[in-house]
Amino acid sequence: MSILEVNNLKKKFDNTEILKGISFDMEKGETLSILGSSGSGKTTLLRCLNFLETPDEGTITVNGNCLFDAKNGPLRDGDLRQKRLHFGMVFQQFNLFPQYTALENVILAPKLQSNGSNMDEIVKNGKSLLEKMGLADRMNNYPHQLSGGQQQRVAIARALALRPDILCFDEPTSALDPELTGEVLKVIRELATQHTTMIIVTHEIGFAKDVSDKIIFMDDGVIAEQGTPAQVISNPTNERTRQFLANYIG
Amino acid sequence: MFTTVTMSLFEGFLGTLKLFSLTLLFSLPLGLIISFGSMSKTSIVRWPIRFIIWVVRGTPLMLQLLIIFYGPGIFFGTNLWGSGDRGRFTAALVAFVFNYACYFSEIFRGGIQSIPTGQYEAAAVLGLTKTQTFFRIVLVQVVKRIVPPISNEVITLVKDTSLARVIAFYEIIWEGERFIKSAGIIWPLFYTGVYYLIFSGLLTLLFGYIEKKLDYFK
Ligand SMILES: Nc1ncnc2c1ncn2[C@@H]1O[C@H](COP(=O)(O)OP(=O)(O)OP(=O)(O)O)[C@@H](O)[C@H]1O
Ligand SMILES: [Mg+2]
Repeated sequence: MSILEVNNLKKKFDNTEILKGISFDMEKGETLSILGSSGSGKTTLLRCLNFLETPDEGTITVNGNCLFDAKNGPLRDGDLRQKRLHFGMVFQQFNLFPQYTALENVILAPKLQSNGSNMDEIVKNGKSLLEKMGLADRMNNYPHQLSGGQQQRVAIARALALRPDILCFDEPTSALDPELTGEVLKVIRELATQHTTMIIVTHEIGFAKDVSDKIIFMDDGVIAEQGTPAQVISNPTNERTRQFLANYIG
Repeated sequence: MFTTVTMSLFEGFLGTLKLFSLTLLFSLPLGLIISFGSMSKTSIVRWPIRFIIWVVRGTPLMLQLLIIFYGPGIFFGTNLWGSGDRGRFTAALVAFVFNYACYFSEIFRGGIQSIPTGQYEAAAVLGLTKTQTFFRIVLVQVVKRIVPPISNEVITLVKDTSLARVIAFYEIIWEGERFIKSAGIIWPLFYTGVYYLIFSGLLTLLFGYIEKKLDYFK
């Protein structure tokens, strides 16, 4: 059974259709990368999966449970909070909470969910996640004391702390100085080798080709092409994919 | 003479202090409520409230004091405020609370609206409830941003209390002026400035301390 099935997802903003029927699925442990030119709807798709936007049509199914069906109308608050926990989200702009240290950022949500029980366990898990991100000596720093690359790694640890089924990344390195992208890509690569299920929107074509089990190329709100990196990146059949790759690889 | 003046000015200052502290006590929470109203998604709530804020901020506080104190008697023929010092005090307090609540509400609105949507979205994807998001994420960030403008308003309020003289509310300037008539000396009036300076100096220190306390994050 697929861990995620997305079927015929559609989303309009002010009568402009941004997602025009997106369908794909992925297996547990896979890394899926989404490529596509600016404005093609990649962010909108991730935001729909995390229920930051409500799709107008379509279904989202995780582990065989239908989480969302547009026919049933929008989700209600409590329901929404439970369901979006299947997904984790790493934002382009990190969005760390400035008043909390790295460790506090990571343990805040698990702490609130457990109502303060299991604190030892939660703190231990938070520390070990930050260690995995190479931030053992930065746990008690506030976000403004960290570099962009370090902040983004804290954000990844924060998302992992809730053990989501699927971790989504929206251009995790595009807000970073070039010399800092490497450290973030490295931890994502490590997560991939440990079979964390991930959806990564990225413009780092070489990286996507390396780490992904599957690539989706989006164009103007539809999936123009999908397949293995060998198919989509090395031998694209779609004309738009070719143009896009030509621009990037030059 | 100097001691006598100092003591009686102090009595006047207690009137100033009473108006000052009660105004803060009521106008800060009222300001928060008004700010929620001015950000309401329902335009039937939002526009009247913004209109009132515009009127209150667009007219002199002295005029508002006069209208609130004399208005009910002139327009409705009732003495809403009762007679004597109590009535003057209540009317002054109502005018000040209303005026300052409108100013504070704009500061709160600015503070709340300056929190990036990314903060709300990050909280949402982590499964925080709306209440948790407000109290755990947004509130401290708002407080940090509004401390400097609030501090300005509070120090303005110290001096604005003297406007209440216009409806013969007893406070320090009133006390200082009394010496002109009773003893023919003007320096007690000028001397009131020292009280204002010391009090606003203390407030400046207090707000500086709060700002420093919130300096641990950016
Ligand atoms: N909240 C919104 N309201 C109106 N239009 C929106 C909204 N969000 C996105 N759009 C529009 O939807 C289109 C797709 O946006 P989206 O952010 O999903 O693209 P993207 O593929 O992520 O692009 P990029 O590579 O630049 O990040 C754009 O034309 C954008 O202007
Ligand atoms: Mg985007």
